[in-house]
Amino acid sequence: MRYFQSIRWRLQIWHGLLLVTVLAGFGAAIYRVERDRQFHQLDEELQHRLQVLAASRRPVPGAHPPRQGFRLMPEHAALFDQSGGSGYFYVVWLHSSPGPIYSSTAPRDVPMPESSKAAGMRERGTIREAFLIPAPDDCLLVGHYFEKDLAGLHHLAWWLGVAGGGVVLLGLIGGALLVHRALKPVRDISDAAQKIATGDLTQRIPGSASGSELGQLVHVLNSTFARLDAAFTQQAHFTADAAHELRTPVSVMLAEAQYGIASPCENSDHHEVFAASERAANRMRRLIDSLLKLARLDAGQEPPERHPCDLAGITAECIEGIRPLAEARSIFIHTEASSVICACDADQIAQVITNLLSNAIHYNVDSGEVHVSLKHGNGVVRLEVYNTGPGISADDLPHIFDRFYRADKARSGSSGRTGLGLAIAKAIVQAHGGTIEVKSEPGQGATFSIMLPS
Amino acid sequence: MRLLIVEDDPDLQSVLVRSARKEGYSVDAASDGEEGLYKAESTDYDAIVLDMMLPVLDGWEVLSRLRKTKPTPVLILTARDRSADRVRGLDIGADDYLVKPFDTPELFARLRAIIRRGARQARVVLELGEVCIDTAARNVTRAGKPVTLTAREYVVLEYLALHRGKVTSRTTLYEHLFDEEESTLSNILDVHIYNLRKKLGQEFIITRRGHGYCIE
Repeated sequence: MRYFQSIRWRLQIWHGLLLVTVLAGFGAAIYRVERDRQFHQLDEELQHRLQVLAASRRPVPGAHPPRQGFRLMPEHAALFDQSGGSGYFYVVWLHSSPGPIYSSTAPRDVPMPESSKAAGMRERGTIREAFLIPAPDDCLLVGHYFEKDLAGLHHLAWWLGVAGGGVVLLGLIGGALLVHRALKPVRDISDAAQKIATGDLTQRIPGSASGSELGQLVHVLNSTFARLDAAFTQQAHFTADAAHELRTPVSVMLAEAQYGIASPCENSDHHEVFAASERAANRMRRLIDSLLKLARLDAGQEPPERHPCDLAGITAECIEGIRPLAEARSIFIHTEASSVICACDADQIAQVITNLLSNAIHYNVDSGEVHVSLKHGNGVVRLEVYNTGPGISADDLPHIFDRFYRADKARSGSSGRTGLGLAIAKAIVQAHGGTIEVKSEPGQGATFSIMLPS
Repeated sequence: MRLLIVEDDPDLQSVLVRSARKEGYSVDAASDGEEGLYKAESTDYDAIVLDMMLPVLDGWEVLSRLRKTKPTPVLILTARDRSADRVRGLDIGADDYLVKPFDTPELFARLRAIIRRGARQARVVLELGEVCIDTAARNVTRAGKPVTLTAREYVVLEYLALHRGKVTSRTTLYEHLFDEEESTLSNILDVHIYNLRKKLGQEFIITRRGHGYCIE
């Protein structure tokens, strides 16, 4: 099943997309919150230190004229004195001092902030700074390297990604299992319907699915199958019954006719009446037998009893049986048969072969030919019967195996033909798991081929 | 030869009876199982044609009850043609089985076969010295030349020939040659025997005084 048409795969894909979206959003939100929290905390620390710096700027005692000086109390030194790049530093510009005053960890290239604002924050690369301008030319600045914080956040992001991926994977697997189980009733229905389509009308969908939403569907399908089964059985019974009913009246007719024929008759008209009745009754007798055979094959009541048989031997016997008919019309039968062992029902296959041979002779020309060939290979046995003669027209060809179909509409059952021979042959061949086909062109005779699994 | 036909369909019974009479059999008929069983048990028929679907008592019942007392050859005639039905019929005690509709010549050929078997005669053509009897074609030759016999004469001859070596009483011959419908003249049998002797030779049929007739 193409992926985009499969319910299962569509469910999986949507499920996956949903999981990924939800988890991605969730992860992003967590990351954002944490980042904001960290930076907020950083800013508070910066402001705190800035206050300390502001408090450390006082007038220098005993200075004339009075000027501002900067002196950090020892208890505050710890705030700025962390070794390594993650600490805080300060830079102080004073009107009274020639250059900026740096803390021990401050970079030496900090530009002085613009004096348009009294206080502010800025970021330069991975340094965040807060500054205060208490007087013109005076500036207090606290800065912090936040590379390590960033690294921490990236670490968080990475773990969020991994965990998210894991959850998505688990979710997909779990989802796949759930979908598989949920769709099981659909598969059951599909399997049962498949079996029914191939002819086993006794199948029913197992009841395990009937509790769910599909229960209604299962119920409807099962009752439909039951009705189908009953209808087919009834039809098979009907045909069998019809044939059965004919038996006694036909027996009477046939027996009377044969009785009349056996008596010495005064005039030939009487004889012909009886002779015609006998023919009619015999025709009905053959029809009954054929109909019953077909009815049983249809209902699967006569499964072939398959034993290993020598098809070449069976074919030879059938040819011998048909030889008188062939000789009556000077038709020559060629045989080309390799010895083939095939698991089949000898009687039924003999019927099929005899039918094909009989057709080959009947629809032939005087002094014509019949070619019979038997080959095997790749686990398939192929029997072909070719006859010269008028052949079969393209109109008739697709219907040749239909019941009661006769290509020559004028002949209606005389000379002993019921129109069922090929239908029975096809039913038997199919019951053996094989195929039967015909090739013919008008004026070029016809070739019937049977393929059987060996 | 005397035949019993048990068939409930009147038309079919009628044609069977007439056909059998034409073949030279003496024929009794029954239209239901009970009547058929009664007749079969009371008379020694040479063969019985038994339909399976009968009113009152069906064919299976008739056959299984008959087999308790009589070995009369029975040919089952029926509309049921399944293998299982055939097997059942033969196993209950039938000697042969024919499905309707049947070919009449085939019916009589099979009857002849089971009668032959019943009389323990394997051969179709019986050779008795110069006389040759073809029971299938129903003709008789003596020293190669065909002999013309009336239907009745043939029937007497055939019966004695099939039971050759055994003495057949006059009563038995009467039972096997004449059916219920015929009124018999008590010396009709003597006439037939006389004619047979005339055509086939005086010593051909031997009279055992007080017992009956016999062909050696």
